[in-house]
Amino acid sequence: MPLIGALPQPITSAPLVILLYVVLTLMIVSALTSVLVRDTLWAIGAFSSSMVLIAVLYLTIAPFLLFAVQLLVFTTVSAALLIGLLRRTTGLGRSTQGPLHRDWIIGAAVVAALLALLVVVLATTSWPIGLIGNAGPGVGEALGTKYVVGLAVLVVILASAALGSGLMLAAPTLPSLRGGGPIRGSGPRR
Amino acid sequence: MNVGLNQLLVASAALFAVGAFALVARRSAIVMLLGTQFMFAAGAIAFVAFGTFGLGTRTLGAGAAVALFAGATAVAELAVGLTMAALIYREHRSFAVDADRE
Repeated sequence: MPLIGALPQPITSAPLVILLYVVLTLMIVSALTSVLVRDTLWAIGAFSSSMVLIAVLYLTIAPFLLFAVQLLVFTTVSAALLIGLLRRTTGLGRSTQGPLHRDWIIGAAVVAALLALLVVVLATTSWPIGLIGNAGPGVGEALGTKYVVGLAVLVVILASAALGSGLMLAAPTLPSLRGGGPIRGSGPRR
Repeated sequence: MNVGLNQLLVASAALFAVGAFALVARRSAIVMLLGTQFMFAAGAIAFVAFGTFGLGTRTLGAGAAVALFAGATAVAELAVGLTMAALIYREHRSFAVDADRE
């Protein structure tokens, strides 16, 4: 008799497999873009899109709670923090590219292709309803019973991070020997 | 053609490599922080993959719970890191972490 029993089988449904490959590829590409691109605003946009794609991946292979938290909390808070930093430092300059620029057209084509694939997957499979029904309560129950101490520690970490970063930003600026000083909200973005 | 543990682990490793590249090769504090976020996300994806297709299926929800913890820790790290980036900018008018050497 095997010691651990049979493991779950991989996903074999063709539309879902294609969607997953596309999501994984776009996730890596957008992560690489956010690392390589020079403009910080574009880097934040690519970072946010890769976080959204990770959320779509979670919707397929993980409980629904993880998808919701990844999309609504982690992605939104990370993007808000990054945009907030830019507003406080270099400022958010308007894009110099018009709506018919090549980058916009390529981005729109990729989004349209992904949406079309999503429509095909939704029409031909039971995703995501079947997966949500199967794996929904597991993580909530685990968080409330086995990992309740970890959850409490996490709340303390998040609260102290929020408090600490707020205090650091609100602290008065000390005179600098290098000529720095309070941020005025304009300057080159690097 | 299928998607299982191997494919997800390969994607996770690739994402981790992108994050490590950002951390090692870029000078901008913001891009370095984005790199650490990708490394956290790669670890979370690996946990979820093992929790869905690997031995983690023996304990229901364990992989997802660890991924939740990793994501929240990453957000806390991002908050503190961005504050430090703001302080670097306040001092040097640049996000470059080695601006002090110039």
